[in-house]
Amino acid sequence: MPATLEQVHEKGKGYDWGFDYAVPDPKYPTRYIVPPKGKDPFRVLVRDYMRMEAEKDDRVFGGLDSNTRYKNADVAEPRWIEALKWAVPAFTDAEYQAIKGAGFMIASVKNQELRQGFAGQMMDEVRHTQLETQLRRFYLKNYYDPAGFDIGQKALGNHPTGTLARASFQPFNTGDPVEVSMCLNVVLETAYTNPLVVALPQVAMANGDQALPTTFLSIQSDESRHMANGYGMLMCVVQEPDNIPFLQEALERHFWHQHMSMDTLVGVVSEYNAHNRPWVYRDVWEEWVVDDFIGSYMNRLAPFGLKPPRHLNDVARYVDDMHHSAALALAAIWPLNFWRTDMMTDRDFDWFEKAYPGWYARYGGLWEAFRGMTDPADGQIPMQALPSLPPFCQVCHVPCVMPRIDQPETVIFEHEGKRFATCSKHCKWIFDLNPKIYSGCCNWWEPWHGMNLADVIEQLGYVRPDGKTLMGQPHLNSERMWTLDDIRKLNYEIKDPLRPDAS
Amino acid sequence: MSTTARIEPFGETIQLEPDESVLSGILRNKKFVRYGCKHGGCGTCRARLIEGECTLDDRTSFSLSDSDRAENVVLLCSAYVDEGDEAVFDVSKLQDLTEDEFHAGLQIAEYEAEVERITAHTHDIRTLRFRLDEADEMPFEAGQYVEVEVPGGDDEWRAYSMSNPPHEKGVIEITVKVISGGRFSSRIDREICEGCRLRLRGPLGQFAVRLSHRPMIMVAGGSGMGPIRAMVHDLVAKDNERPVVFFYGARTDKDLFLVEEFRAIEAQHRWFEFVPVLSEAERCERWTGETGLVTEAVARRFDGFRGYEGYLCGPPAMIDAAIDLLCGRGCKSRHVFFDRFVPSG
Repeated sequence: MPATLEQVHEKGKGYDWGFDYAVPDPKYPTRYIVPPKGKDPFRVLVRDYMRMEAEKDDRVFGGLDSNTRYKNADVAEPRWIEALKWAVPAFTDAEYQAIKGAGFMIASVKNQELRQGFAGQMMDEVRHTQLETQLRRFYLKNYYDPAGFDIGQKALGNHPTGTLARASFQPFNTGDPVEVSMCLNVVLETAYTNPLVVALPQVAMANGDQALPTTFLSIQSDESRHMANGYGMLMCVVQEPDNIPFLQEALERHFWHQHMSMDTLVGVVSEYNAHNRPWVYRDVWEEWVVDDFIGSYMNRLAPFGLKPPRHLNDVARYVDDMHHSAALALAAIWPLNFWRTDMMTDRDFDWFEKAYPGWYARYGGLWEAFRGMTDPADGQIPMQALPSLPPFCQVCHVPCVMPRIDQPETVIFEHEGKRFATCSKHCKWIFDLNPKIYSGCCNWWEPWHGMNLADVIEQLGYVRPDGKTLMGQPHLNSERMWTLDDIRKLNYEIKDPLRPDAS
Repeated sequence: MSTTARIEPFGETIQLEPDESVLSGILRNKKFVRYGCKHGGCGTCRARLIEGECTLDDRTSFSLSDSDRAENVVLLCSAYVDEGDEAVFDVSKLQDLTEDEFHAGLQIAEYEAEVERITAHTHDIRTLRFRLDEADEMPFEAGQYVEVEVPGGDDEWRAYSMSNPPHEKGVIEITVKVISGGRFSSRIDREICEGCRLRLRGPLGQFAVRLSHRPMIMVAGGSGMGPIRAMVHDLVAKDNERPVVFFYGARTDKDLFLVEEFRAIEAQHRWFEFVPVLSEAERCERWTGETGLVTEAVARRFDGFRGYEGYLCGPPAMIDAAIDLLCGRGCKSRHVFFDRFVPSG
C-alpha cells in the first residue's frame, strides 16, 4: 500500500537536524520555555508547496502582462498611484525583514515542526519580496510620472516613512524569538494583513489599479499559513504558565507599535490617496482587528490566561483620528516627499465629514490652507506656517501629532542627557522597557538642523532627472512643478524641534 | 503496561483505561472528535485504523459495511485496544475536523447533578442551583445554556441559560420561568426539589460577550435575566472596564428580582449601570424609576448606538424591537448578539 501524505510528512519530520556539529549560537536568546513538540501548521511537503507557489507566481506575472497591455497604470487614479511610490517599497521592506525573521526562527527554535512551518514561510517571504519588486517595476515602466519609483527602496530609506517602516518591521527578526513570532505572525500577520493585503486591494480596484490587487491577493493567500505559524508558536508556549506574563507584555508592546504604524499607513493610503473610497478605514479596523483578531483569535487564547491588549480603548480612540493627522503632516512636508501630494477637495471634504462626523472642524481648515499654497508662483509652503516641525516618535516614528494634530499627546523626555519624543505615553512605556533598543537612532530632523530645505532635498536625492525639478509636488499638475530654485528662494531652514534650544 | 491510542493527523497519544473505548479515552483527555450515539449505531465517529489492532464491539455490525471493514474503518465509540498494545487511528479523511477543534476538547457532554438549592425570586421565577457530581466540571462561557432532562420523560429535554458565572466550578444555576402546565417548570417545588438528581447536557449556544473595547447595552426581560447575570458577574471577575448599561424589563415591581445584587455591583463598579423598567408601573405604589416598554427606556436614554455592542435576552418581541432600535440608530448588526427565549415550559 503506498504511503499516505501524512505518513510521508511524519517520516520527513524524523529527519531533524541538530547542532552537534556546530555550537548553537542564536542571535538572541529566549526567555521562554519552548516545548520540543509542536504542530507544523503547513502540513505539506516542501516539494508540493513549491509547486503550488510557482503556479501562483505564474498567475501574478500573467496578470501584470495583461495590465501592461491594457495600459492599466495610466488608467488608474494618479492620486492613488503616487502613494504607491512609498507604500510599495515599505511593503517590500516588511517582506525582506520577514525573510530574515523566518530564517532567524528556524535557527532559534528547537522544535522541528515549527521549523518546518517557518521554512515554508521563509520561501513565501522571498516570493513576496520578488513580487513587490516586480510590481514597483511595473509602475516604473508604465506610469506616466515614474519619478520616485525609480529610486523607491533607496528613497524610502531616506524618508521618515522609511524610518517608520524600519522601526515597525525590524522586530520581525530582532529580539527574543518568541516575541519575534508574536510581532510578525500574531500581531502583524494575523491582526493587520487583512486590512493591508485584502482591504487595500479593494481601494486599488475602486481607483482603477488592477496590478496591486493581482499581486497582493496572491500574497494574502500565503498569510493565513503564516498566521498559523504564530498560532502554532503561541499554542506551544502558552502551555507553560511561566511564559504568560512575558507573552502578555510582548503582545501589549507589539500591538501598540504595529497599530501606530499600520493604522497610519493603511488609513492614509486608503483614504487620502483614494479618489473613490469603497469603505471607511475605521470600519475595516473594527471588523478585522477588533472583531476578528481581538474578538475571535484572542478569545481562543483567553483560557490560557492571555488577555486582550489593555490599551485597546486608546487604540480605538487613536484610530478615529491618527491617519487624518498623519496625512496632514505628510502633506505639510511635501517638498521632502518623493511622490506628489494631491490636496483634498470639497468632494473629499464631504466624504470625510460623513465618514468621520466632526472631521471638517478638526482638519478641513488646514487642508484649505494647504491647497492655497500649491503654486510655485505664490512662493509659500505649509512648513513655513508651522509653529515648529513635529518631532518623530522615537519608538514608532510617526510624526508626533497624534492622535489629533491640534491636541497631540506627545511625551518629551531626556534619556542619558539627550532629548527624545514619543507620540504617546504608550510608546514611552515601550521605550522604557528597553531604552537601548530605541535610543541609538537619531531623530529624523537632527542631521538636517540648520540646513536650507533645498539642500536637504538635494542630499536626499528627491530631484527628477533634469536636476532641478522636485519629485515631491503639492499637486498633480505637470505644468506647475516646483524646482530647487523655487524652494531655495524661500530661505527655509530646518530646525530640529528636539534641540535643547528649541521651544 | 500502558494501553494507548494515537490519533492522527494530530499526533496525540491517549492513555486508555482498562475496557475503555477509544472515544471515551479521547473525551476523557479533553480532546474532541465528532460522535453521536456512543453505542455503534450512528457511524458519526468513523476513523481508520492505520497501525496496530483493535477489537470492535458487536454493535457495529450494521453501521460498518464489509467494504468499511476491508479498509480498516472503525467506530471509535466501539473500538477497544487490547491491554498493553498501541493502535493508531487516523480521523483526517473521515471526519471534517480541524486541529483547533480536536484540541479544544469536548464541548458538549452529559452530566449528573443534584439540585442543591431552589430560590423563589417572584411568583413565577425560580433559580435552580445544581451541584455537578464530584470531579465533574462543565467549562462554559457566560451566556451559554444547558439542556436539562425532564424527569420521567422519554428523552425529553428543556434548554435554560446558565445564570451563574463560569468561574464557580462544579456549579450550574439556571433561572426558570414557571409556566402553568409546563412539563419541566411546573414540576419545580414538587418532583423537582432540593436533593433530587437530574441529567444535564451542554454547554450549548453562541451567546457570549465578545472581547472588544466597545461599550455594551444589555437588555433582558423575564427569565432572560439569567444569562445577562452570568455575563455581568463574569465581567466583574475579569476586571472589566468597558461601560455596561443593563436594562431589565418587567411588568410590575413584584416581577423584579435580584435588584439589590445589581445595585451592589453598580455601587462597586463605575462601569456598570442597572436600569429596571416597569411596563405596568401604574399598578405599583412607589415606583419612581423608568416606565414603559424596556426598549422605550433604552431609546430615551441614548441618542445613538454607533460604536456600541448590544446583548439581548428575553421574549422574541422584545428582541426584535431592540434590534430595530439599536441598528436603526447606528449600531452595526454584527455587533448585536441575542438569545430568544421561547416558552417551552
